[in-house]
Amino acid sequence: MKILAKDKVAELLEKIAQQAEVYVPMAIEQGSGFYPWTEDNKNQPLLLDALNVYNSPKYILFPQTERMYDLKQQGQDLSIDQTHEDSSPRVIFGVRACDARALRSLDDVFLTRGFEDSFYKARRDNVTVIGNACYAPGANCFCEAMGVDLTEPEADVILRDAGNDGYIWESKTETGDKLTRAVAEFLNDKETKAPEAKSFQTQVDYDGVAEKLKGMFEHPLWEKMAEPCVNCGACTYICPSCHCFDIQVKMWGDSGYRFRCWDSCMYAEYSAEAGGGNPRPSGVERFRNRFLHKLEFFSERYGYSLCTGCGRCTIVCPAGVRITDIIKAIKEVDSSVGL
Amino acid sequence: MKAISDKIKSIAAGLFDSGKIDVFIGWEGGPCDYAIRPYIARSKADLERMAFNEYAIHNSSNYLLKLRDGHEKIGIVVKGCDSRGVVRLLEDNQIKRERLYIIGVCCPGMKDPLLAIKAQSGLLPQRDCDNLADKCLNCLVPNPVIFDELIGEQQPPHMQGERFAKVAAIENMSVAERFQFFEKEFSKCIRCYACRQACIACDCRTCIYDEMRPQWVGRENSNSDNMMYHLVKALHMAGRCIECGECERVCPVGIPLMLINNKLAKDADRFFGPYEAGLSYVEGQKPALSVYRENDPDDFI
Repeated sequence: MKILAKDKVAELLEKIAQQAEVYVPMAIEQGSGFYPWTEDNKNQPLLLDALNVYNSPKYILFPQTERMYDLKQQGQDLSIDQTHEDSSPRVIFGVRACDARALRSLDDVFLTRGFEDSFYKARRDNVTVIGNACYAPGANCFCEAMGVDLTEPEADVILRDAGNDGYIWESKTETGDKLTRAVAEFLNDKETKAPEAKSFQTQVDYDGVAEKLKGMFEHPLWEKMAEPCVNCGACTYICPSCHCFDIQVKMWGDSGYRFRCWDSCMYAEYSAEAGGGNPRPSGVERFRNRFLHKLEFFSERYGYSLCTGCGRCTIVCPAGVRITDIIKAIKEVDSSVGL
Repeated sequence: MKAISDKIKSIAAGLFDSGKIDVFIGWEGGPCDYAIRPYIARSKADLERMAFNEYAIHNSSNYLLKLRDGHEKIGIVVKGCDSRGVVRLLEDNQIKRERLYIIGVCCPGMKDPLLAIKAQSGLLPQRDCDNLADKCLNCLVPNPVIFDELIGEQQPPHMQGERFAKVAAIENMSVAERFQFFEKEFSKCIRCYACRQACIACDCRTCIYDEMRPQWVGRENSNSDNMMYHLVKALHMAGRCIECGECERVCPVGIPLMLINNKLAKDADRFFGPYEAGLSYVEGQKPALSVYRENDPDDFI
C-alpha cells in the first residue's frame, strides 16, 4: 500500500499548490477551518490530527457570498457583461467523513433532479477531495447514526492515520489516481494497518425518524423544543450541509452585479413574502422547518439525512439546543398527541 | 449552587401554588453540568427539570421577549446582568412590571458552557474553560438591581483591574490603525446574527437588517457590508447596552464585540452622564439617548 510519511505532508502540499489552490484544516487565531495553503498561512498550525475544525469546507464549493454576473441597464434593457463561474483547480485536503457526506448532499442539491447550477458545477468539476478517515469519534459526534461511515469518507483519496508509519494513501476515483500520479515522489510502498475505530460516545437512533416526522408537522413538541432557541443563524452557517441561499443585486446608477449569499431559515426575512405575509411568523415555525429539512424533507427527496452527525450546531449553539435531543424526543414521543 | 437551585425551585413551586405566576423562566438541567440551558416552565410539574449551576450564564431576560405579547404572569430568575436586562425591557416598554415576579440571585460569576463544550468536542483550537467566563471577569454588577426576592449573599464586583483598559488601548491607536483593527475583526463575521439574537437591547420587533424595502444594509459577506452591520448595531447600543457580554460570548468566530459596547457605555456616561444603562428602574425612565432635551450638550457634533 501507498504511504505518505507525516514529515512529507508539507512538501506534498507544496507540490500540489503549484498546480491548484490547496485548502487544509488549520487554526488561525481562535478559529479554525479549511484555509488556503499560502505563504501567509503556512506557519499556522495544521490540524490534520485534530478531530475536526470549526468551519467546514462547504464554503470552498459554495462561498458565503458569490458574485454571479455583472450587469448594465440601458433603458428597459439589461445586458450581462460578465459571468463569474470559477473553474480554477482546487484540492481540499483532510476532509472528515461527516464533511465529505455534506459535500455529497451539496452535489445532489446543485447538480441533480433536472437542474445543474452552473456556478456550483464550475467549482465542483475542478475540485479534488482528499478525505481523512476518522477512528476516534468525539463527544458530540454521531455520524454513524446518520448513515455515515466514519472510516470511509466519500472522497477521491482517503488518508488513514497509521500513527508513526504515516498516512495510508488510498485512491478511490480517477481524479484521485491522477493526483496520486502527480505526487508519487512523496509516497512510499509499505505494509501497515489502519487503526480500529473506537465506539461512539453519543448514541442516537435515527431509524424511522424521517417516516415518523411525516405526521408530526403540527405536533406540540415543536413549541417545547424551540423554546430555548434564540433564532440566530449560527447553526445554519456552521453546518457543513445547510445550503440555502438568496440572490440579490447591487446597483450603482445603471451598472451593478448580481450575487448570491448564504441565507438562513432561522431568519424572519427568509420566508417573508412580497405581499407582506410570512408563512413562518414566529421562531417555532422556523425552528421546525430547520429540523424537518434536516431530518425529513431531504431524506424523502434524496434518500439520506441532511444531518451528517458532525455535532457542530450543538457546539456553537448559544442556547444549548442539541439536535441529538431532538431526534431522541421525536423517536420517543407519541406522534398522535395533540393532533 | 445546589442550595441556590433548590431554593429557586421551592420559591417557584410556591408561586405556582399561590397562582402568582403562570410560567417560570430559569434553566433546564442537561446530561452534564455545562449542558444547562434556558427553560420556560409552564406548570409546577415542569420545575422537576429545572436546575441552576455555575454554567447558567445565558441572559434569562432575553426569554421575556418570547412572552411579551401574552398576559401570563411570569416568574423569572435573574443574575445581576439579567436583572439589568429586565430594566432594559421595562424602560423600552416591552413588558409590564406587574407581570413579573423576579427572583434575584447574587451571582458568584459563571463559567462559559460554550467553552466547556468546545473543550471536550475534539475540535481545535480550544480555550481554557475552567476560569470564570470573560463576561463575568468584566462584571461590575453581580447583584440583581431589581427583584422581588433575593437569594444568596451580596457579591463583590468580579472585575479586576481598570474598567476601560482595553477601550483605552483602542483609543490610543491612530485612526488608520483603528480602522485596520476593526476591519480585520469584522472580516471574520459570518453574519449569523447570534450577537443580535442574544442581545436584550435588540428588542425591536422589526430589525433594520431584516428590512427589504429598502434594504438598509447589504447582505454580502464583504468588509463594507459587515462594517455597516456592526456600526449600525453599535450605534443602536449606545446608552442601551447593559454590558451582559452575551453578544461576545455567543459569537462563533470570536469578534471582540464588547470593546465597542464598552466604548459606547463610556461615551454615553461622558457626554450625557453620569449614566449607566439599566442600573435601576424608575417608572417612565428612559435610556440616555432616548430622550430629547433642549439643554443637551451638542458640542461634540
